[in-house]
Amino acid sequence: MQERVRLTDAEINRDLLRSIMENPLWYWLLVGALGSIVLVAFGAAAYMFNQGLGVTGLNRPVMWGFFITNFVFWIGISHAGVMLSAILRLAQAEWRRPATRAAEVLTVFSLMTAMLMPLIHAGRPWRVFYWVFPFDWARGIYPNVRSALVWDPAAVFTYLTSSILFVYIALVPDLAVARDRTTGWRHIMYSILSLGWRGSVRQWKLQLIAGILLSAIILPIFVSVHSIVSWDFGMAVAVEGWHSTVFAPYFVIGAVHSGVSGVVTVMIILRSFFKWQDYIRYEHLDALAKLLIVVATAWLFFFVLEFFFGLYSEEAPEIALREMQVFQMPWAAYFATFLIASYFIPVPLWLFKKVRRSIGWMLFTTILVNIGMWLERFIIIVPSLARKQNFSFTWGGYTPSAVEVIIIGATFAMVSMLVLLFAKVFPLIPIGDTKEGVVLEDSIQVGKVSVPAIVRED
Amino acid sequence: MRELHKMPEPALLNMTPQSITEDALNRHASAGSKFWLIAAVLAGLLALGVVGFFMLLGEGFDDRAAWGYYAATFAYVFSVSQSAVLVSVALRMAKAHWRRPLSRVSELFAAVGIFAFLMMLPLLWVLPSLENRRSLWFDAPVYSPHVWDTIAMGLLVICGLGLLYFAAIPDLATIRDNGGRRQGLYRMLARNWAGTRRQWRALHAGIGTLGGFYFMFLIFVHMMISVDFSMSLVPGWKDAIYPAYHGLSGLQSAVAVVLVTMFVLRKWGGLSSYIEVDQFWGLSKLLLALSLLWFYFWWASFFTYWYGRTPAEQAVLKLLMFDSYRPAFFAAFFLCFPIPFLVLMWNVVRKTDWGPSLAGVIVLVGTFFNMVRLYVPAFSVEDPTLHALEHVPPAVMPGLPDVLVIVGGLGGAALFYMLATRIFPITNIWELKEGLLLQRVKTLLKTEVRVLAKPE
Repeated sequence: MQERVRLTDAEINRDLLRSIMENPLWYWLLVGALGSIVLVAFGAAAYMFNQGLGVTGLNRPVMWGFFITNFVFWIGISHAGVMLSAILRLAQAEWRRPATRAAEVLTVFSLMTAMLMPLIHAGRPWRVFYWVFPFDWARGIYPNVRSALVWDPAAVFTYLTSSILFVYIALVPDLAVARDRTTGWRHIMYSILSLGWRGSVRQWKLQLIAGILLSAIILPIFVSVHSIVSWDFGMAVAVEGWHSTVFAPYFVIGAVHSGVSGVVTVMIILRSFFKWQDYIRYEHLDALAKLLIVVATAWLFFFVLEFFFGLYSEEAPEIALREMQVFQMPWAAYFATFLIASYFIPVPLWLFKKVRRSIGWMLFTTILVNIGMWLERFIIIVPSLARKQNFSFTWGGYTPSAVEVIIIGATFAMVSMLVLLFAKVFPLIPIGDTKEGVVLEDSIQVGKVSVPAIVRED
Repeated sequence: MRELHKMPEPALLNMTPQSITEDALNRHASAGSKFWLIAAVLAGLLALGVVGFFMLLGEGFDDRAAWGYYAATFAYVFSVSQSAVLVSVALRMAKAHWRRPLSRVSELFAAVGIFAFLMMLPLLWVLPSLENRRSLWFDAPVYSPHVWDTIAMGLLVICGLGLLYFAAIPDLATIRDNGGRRQGLYRMLARNWAGTRRQWRALHAGIGTLGGFYFMFLIFVHMMISVDFSMSLVPGWKDAIYPAYHGLSGLQSAVAVVLVTMFVLRKWGGLSSYIEVDQFWGLSKLLLALSLLWFYFWWASFFTYWYGRTPAEQAVLKLLMFDSYRPAFFAAFFLCFPIPFLVLMWNVVRKTDWGPSLAGVIVLVGTFFNMVRLYVPAFSVEDPTLHALEHVPPAVMPGLPDVLVIVGGLGGAALFYMLATRIFPITNIWELKEGLLLQRVKTLLKTEVRVLAKPE
């Protein structure tokens, strides 16, 4: 069953520019509330910088806790953008159209948020400048360039730059639509940003080529980012449970699982906020849920490989670590929650068409996935560090402090606030892409049935 | 060069359901003398392989190193043929219309599974017991890999054959209903297919379920075969990505073998009206993506070992890549990634029949070298019960029996494929006819475009 509604160009412009043109009270109340949470977190971070890392739960041997877990989590969320925009564009999946912009924007904001985490974790963020170019080779004060920790910022910033470019290139035609419907300073802003777009054949051709080229070029960056994040852990031989060859693809596919789920959550919320029922339709949720079944199952396969080959070594410390993760509280509770939440509840539910086409169920299951995936990162990082040392008297534990909980909680508020602010200035569903989709939609009569069809894009 | 960019509309759309059926039936009715001549040559190669096998048998099962090339050939035949079935499964799941002319070409590789299964059996005698060594099976009875690998491989072959048969029932019924030779066989195979709505629904559901199951089971069997027949024989080789890499390598070579088979059928099999540039273009993109993934999986494994730098890891790297088997490794590396990548990165090459097929041949040769550098050294390690590899054994060069086994293995696989085409028509009649219903050409502005229906 398809729920397509034949929309005119004027209706599409009106509906998709609603978030820019209208100024409802709820919007500012929501932005204000989210902004307040972010301000509280800034206060907590300032307090931590003033008092030192002692106000966190970090202590030897667990020096990576909530901040680094959250860093990996937000990097993971950022993988939705390329998955939905680049890969599905290259695969010519028609149902990608309404989801691409939200996914790309989520990528940009989650990358920015992710990069805040190591900065805050550093305790004295200004010292991070020693880490970035130019390295002080002459005085021998430079980080070890052979370390994955140094490649990380380079990979993430490259991804951030290319993602911004990706969003912007796709935005240009839509900015011109906004330019033609605004006055005053907003008209000037959109005029500058739309780069003289007139919608000529040549401009469309260039835009198309740029989109395809960027899609192809961004793919290796997309893979490299989470691979390098995984190598932050995987290159360390001394920490049990980290030195696994499967970490890179395991992290990447986990990131896609988490990121696409995040996009579905955001799409459902925006759909109800801005009344985009004709654009984000049940068929889109259905297709995304089917994609998630495949991605989640591939992720589970890599998880099984990672866990199983940890045991395969038959080395006592590795087996002890796995026992701790699975059987000792509180890790056992986190472990069970992570597996159940990220796979064993959502995926069986997605097998039912009713669930895939239900707003409530999809919202519930995709939020559940991200609870599970956050815990997954926590389970990978903290227990291994707690058992890092050989002697049991040097083992440790980790309990996050209020400062960490506030900062972590506020990152969710910050990303939500930034997405809402973006929606105030730029259309969150691509207007040009939606119109193209309408032109390409068709149907073929087979006997008595009219089968939805699509004009093939070569 | 401009011509190469032009994507011709498929001639298939100009055909009628009747002409597709008639053409397929005529083609299936008689194979021609050339077919039987090639089959005879392949049978000769297989006979040489059998001679090589008996020469190996004469040396007994105790010297594991002598069976390395046999194991590599088995792994190659298994990996390529059983993964090739998946090409049709994956494209059907993705509802890609261009798959229709190639789905039977891919599914017929299930028949080669019988040959791969037969090749595996002698290796069970060569495989050492589990006593005191790391394996997938931990503390299970010492002959667990022997028993479970046989059962798993057998089930996979049955599942693949089931998929081939199930997806061919309407075509078998067409042959039954149109007279000709071997009516008894086709009456039995087509069962009571009458093309009712209920039967069609069951067929689609069955193909989907069986395909999904085959997909997952194949990955599982790749894990068992790759670990039991190579990784667990080398002390210190603990590589979590290896089963996935093995499976991916299988998929890459599967797409390659389907491309090469399509090229042969297009050029010399009279199927040029069905297998067009569109099919090569579609599969070549898949091969490009899989070649990139091949590099990524290999790199993830290599890089972690390189950075780990423990003595055990260094020894494994030396064994598989940088010491005795360096030539085989570099051949595998260049033929599986950089060369096919450089060939397929150009759209102008992808939109030909020769470009993707050339890349396919390159990948197939590369995959064979890859199997050699993975299985031959693993079989040459004397004591798999050690904690880590203490010294890298010298390279085992192929002798006459090995060469005969390799030639026989490849010839036998091709022979099984050819013989299967005498039972199942190589053109998928019902899927092609379904395709006619779900596609049409229309004019959009000033251009003629193809409209593709996407039924739920």
